[in-house]
Amino acid sequence: MLARIAHELYWTGRYVARADDTARMLDGLFRASLESPGTPAAGLSWEAVMAALGVDVDPDRGPIRAAEAVRTLTLDPQSPASVTACIDSAREGTMRVRDVVSREMWQALNTLYLELDMSDLGAALETGPHSVYAFVRERCALWWGLAEETMLRDQAYSYLAAGRHAEGASMMLRMLRVSIVPYFADDGTERAGGSGAAPALLQAIGGLEAFRRAVAGPAEAYPVAKFLLFERAYPHSVAAAVELLHDRLRDADPSYRTAPPILRLARLRAELEFHHRSAAGEDARALADLLEQVQLELVDVDREIEQRYFSGAATQPQVVTA
Amino acid sequence: MRFQITYSTTYEYSEAVRDNLNVLRVKPATTPHQSIDEFTFRVDPESRLHQYRDYFGSEVIEFGVTEPHDRLSIEARMLVTTREQPVDPNEAWDATRETAYRNAAGEYLLHTDGPHDDPRVRELVEAVHGATPLETVQRVSEVIPERFEYRSGATFVGSTVTDLLDGGAGVCQDFVHLGTLLLRELDIGARYVSGYLFAAPRDGGDDSVEVQTHAWLEALLPDGDGELRWIGFDPTNRSRAGETYVKIGHGRHYQDVAPIRGVYRGPATSELTASVRMTRLTADTPAASGA
Amino acid sequence: MGDALARSEEELTEVPGTARAVGATTDYEPLDGFYDEVFVERGRPRPHTRNLVESLDRMGRLVLIDLGRRRDETFRQQGITFAISDPDGTAHDRPFPLDLVPRIIPGEEWMAIEAGLRQRIRALNAFLDDVYHGREIVREGIVPWELVLGSPEFRRAVHGIRPPGGTYCHVAGCDLVRGADGRWKVLEDNVRTTSGVSYVLENRLAMTRLAPEMFRGYRVRPVNQYPQLLLSALREIAPAPGREPTVVVWTPGPANSAYFEHAFLARQMGVELVEASDLVVRDDICYMRTTEGLARVDAIYRRLDDDFIDPLEFRPDSLLGVPGLIRAYRAGTVAIANAVGTGVADDKAVYSCVPAMVRYYLNEEPILDNVTTYLLRDPEQLEAALARIDELVLKPVNESGGKGVFIGPRASDEEIAAQRERVLADPDQWIAQELVHLSTTPTVAAGGELVPRHVDLRPFCVYGSELNVIPGGLTRVALREGSMIVNSSRGGGSKDTWVLASDGDGGPMPVPAPEPDALPRMPALGHSHWSGQEQQQQQARRPA
Repeated sequence: MLARIAHELYWTGRYVARADDTARMLDGLFRASLESPGTPAAGLSWEAVMAALGVDVDPDRGPIRAAEAVRTLTLDPQSPASVTACIDSAREGTMRVRDVVSREMWQALNTLYLELDMSDLGAALETGPHSVYAFVRERCALWWGLAEETMLRDQAYSYLAAGRHAEGASMMLRMLRVSIVPYFADDGTERAGGSGAAPALLQAIGGLEAFRRAVAGPAEAYPVAKFLLFERAYPHSVAAAVELLHDRLRDADPSYRTAPPILRLARLRAELEFHHRSAAGEDARALADLLEQVQLELVDVDREIEQRYFSGAATQPQVVTA
Repeated sequence: MRFQITYSTTYEYSEAVRDNLNVLRVKPATTPHQSIDEFTFRVDPESRLHQYRDYFGSEVIEFGVTEPHDRLSIEARMLVTTREQPVDPNEAWDATRETAYRNAAGEYLLHTDGPHDDPRVRELVEAVHGATPLETVQRVSEVIPERFEYRSGATFVGSTVTDLLDGGAGVCQDFVHLGTLLLRELDIGARYVSGYLFAAPRDGGDDSVEVQTHAWLEALLPDGDGELRWIGFDPTNRSRAGETYVKIGHGRHYQDVAPIRGVYRGPATSELTASVRMTRLTADTPAASGA
Repeated sequence: MGDALARSEEELTEVPGTARAVGATTDYEPLDGFYDEVFVERGRPRPHTRNLVESLDRMGRLVLIDLGRRRDETFRQQGITFAISDPDGTAHDRPFPLDLVPRIIPGEEWMAIEAGLRQRIRALNAFLDDVYHGREIVREGIVPWELVLGSPEFRRAVHGIRPPGGTYCHVAGCDLVRGADGRWKVLEDNVRTTSGVSYVLENRLAMTRLAPEMFRGYRVRPVNQYPQLLLSALREIAPAPGREPTVVVWTPGPANSAYFEHAFLARQMGVELVEASDLVVRDDICYMRTTEGLARVDAIYRRLDDDFIDPLEFRPDSLLGVPGLIRAYRAGTVAIANAVGTGVADDKAVYSCVPAMVRYYLNEEPILDNVTTYLLRDPEQLEAALARIDELVLKPVNESGGKGVFIGPRASDEEIAAQRERVLADPDQWIAQELVHLSTTPTVAAGGELVPRHVDLRPFCVYGSELNVIPGGLTRVALREGSMIVNSSRGGGSKDTWVLASDGDGGPMPVPAPEPDALPRMPALGHSHWSGQEQQQQQARRPA
């Protein structure tokens, strides 16, 4: 398919996933903070959250207040993580590929955009942020549901889904590294003072029930990190996202056997499986290192995807000389 | 006269560019008064060249550089011989009123989008209107340089006749656009000519000069024998276009014979260095070796 | 509107069969001095429209209003829109206005029109080939050279090139009008980027869904073969020996007012819809940028004007163009439809020479007449026209879409004076035509009543290795009372156009879809038996 269209679809998938994940996380944090007021959740500071979402935080600033973090992460048009900025970008991208996504998908996203644009979000965030995030999450879920129901399983679908999974893996890794890893003790147990962080994160992303069904034992830092990294049966784990990303690119690329990003993802998937099965001792440091490696690997995958599939798209201007 | 001409153009780009397509009209025409003895053309980075003759009869050379590069250099070397044109006919106006004249002059009579109604144009038309067509063309070559200042930088490639009228200054391209407009207003076929002018200094010392591509005009004039001839005049230098003028090609206006047009892809800006060196060769001057 | 509704309700409660059963068409009054396509006079429909009139009467105003609402909703949801501009230039998207009353053309009548169209397009095609090569018709004095060489659409860059098969007007349409005498005449030729066919297809689809009962008693020739015809033609002209040709539709982008049609046709033909940034010319071959690298493009159906397609040969400031495209075209490695330079056959001055072209190239008498046209570049015709300026229609030679059209009989004294000035300033740019009393046809007004409105017809022809004419085409209707400006960009609407199958031809009648089988339900197992067992099991499991 046209490189330009594939590029738009991939990034639309990323932006919708980013908006969805951010909204979900902020919603979860709010609910957790209602249960234990003060910080958003015990052990999970707003600085950590902002850092997890890639927002530059001046370390000398001092603690960030909830209201400000929430505004930045929801409303700031300049911030790459802000929910409304992501929805804006996703909608623009969808407009450019109108002929490829179904009418209903466009309507779902456009309605979300219009609602966010027309409402006084600042006020809503102060009085009842849950409704804002719930609305965003519902519409994003509708979007993915419609993609599943109405899109032909062709390259367009593959690139859209690939974007979603690429973003999902990236977001999950960020959150793990910032909000859980600091609470690893060397022997694999949890450091003192961290007993709230892991379940808070799980609750924030909506994975607490899944964790309980899959893992016997308390929701402490190390087991939660392992679950969110390795558990392929949990659809938002890093391993699941890596596998899905691999599979979608393989669907889209007729020369998948020699495609660098696909080979890299296959190797990454195998490594994750290997580490999962062989985590004999509870080596927290090894896990922390692995998280960092995986994140770096995904950066390489990202670059290779852009290069292999989208670099053909002419992104540079044409200049006429007389 | 015999000339060796080296046309050279170099573009330096601030960063690598790709898909650099160029179209050049720099090769002199073969006419009853001019012939080419040698012509070589080189591009760096090396590219396949395509040549053809366009609608106006100009020789066109095209090429494209696909891979990224940050410098493009073009060089054409040529040996040309020019001959003096015969004496100009001075027929009366009625020869231009005939259908045969109109058909021969064709599109060179048609008004393009020019400011015909501008009172300044009407006044100039009056000023150049002579007793005969030849006289009119001569007056055009005198009145324009009188009324307008030759100044580079006063106008640019896309400037119009109105810009020249407003600013009072321009370069050869603008003078020719105005000149052809005035002649067409008087129903004299006039065309824009692009070429090289051996503008040697008056004292005649130097036989090799740096020039730029030059523009002049040709007017269709009836001669005494019922024939029609295109005769060149230069409103920039108030002269008849003689042996020192080497013609590349003609058209209705600049865009029809632009020496170089190009497009590239990339965010870079470009810096252009262009030069044309013309050397007059006498019988015993050896031509400088071409590459 | 409330009153109108109340009245219709009253009317509908009248017992049918009484002396004056009032239907939707009972009060329809054709305009004096105009040919009405349906009614010869009040109450007397033409034979081929009787079924239609019965249907309309049966339906009545309320149904027509309701159908109108459903139509609007359907088109809005589907995004079938067209951009119109306010006087101040701001553009709006509105759903394309389809009037529910179709325009019906009997089969025999269409045969004559089709023959006339074929003739005319073949002549125009021959003219184009001639103009870009020997220009014989100019040498013979039949067409003045000024019309050709002075046309801004005469593209010197493609002079001497002969496209595959010698075909230039791959998609063409000659706008037709019917005068007060009922005779068809050509109003204007379109051989550049003719648009509107997507509405023809969408209108037909909408009518079969909204009002299938109107088709009762009619065998209407289908139009949905158009995309296949276009695709075949593009494949035929593609220079791709020994391999599958790659065809694309080239659009300026979503901001273009006809973008919907570009996307529609690409989708219907199953080909890529590309923009300029997707295309690149390397080594005189045109490629498109895909996720798998560069893919060669063999034929381009372009919906851009020549001026914009290549900054190296035409407008250098065009960001919508592909540098080097004309080089590839010249090298014969890519086919472009419509061919570059067809606009020279398209302007209103050349139009007046077309009957002469038919005689010159085909040695035939023209079947379709022109509207009587005067070229104001000619001093005698200029004088005569200005003397009757209040009776004539004046049009600029190089505009399209109804822009700049001056209608003498409708103009005020100031407007006439202003127009006279405009013409005298540049007479070469103007033609004058006798005012055609455009035919009318019943059209649904806001209150559901039927009123006479003026219409024209834009047929569509595809010229690949053969010339195919779509039955009917786009009937454009001027929605404002008394207006004869039908262009959609200026507030016009359209109607589904039905060409009736003559005996022995045409396709099947559109049949309303059959009722689908009711959805299956979960089979009831022996209900009480099952619950009995379940209860027992539940009892067994219950913790003590």
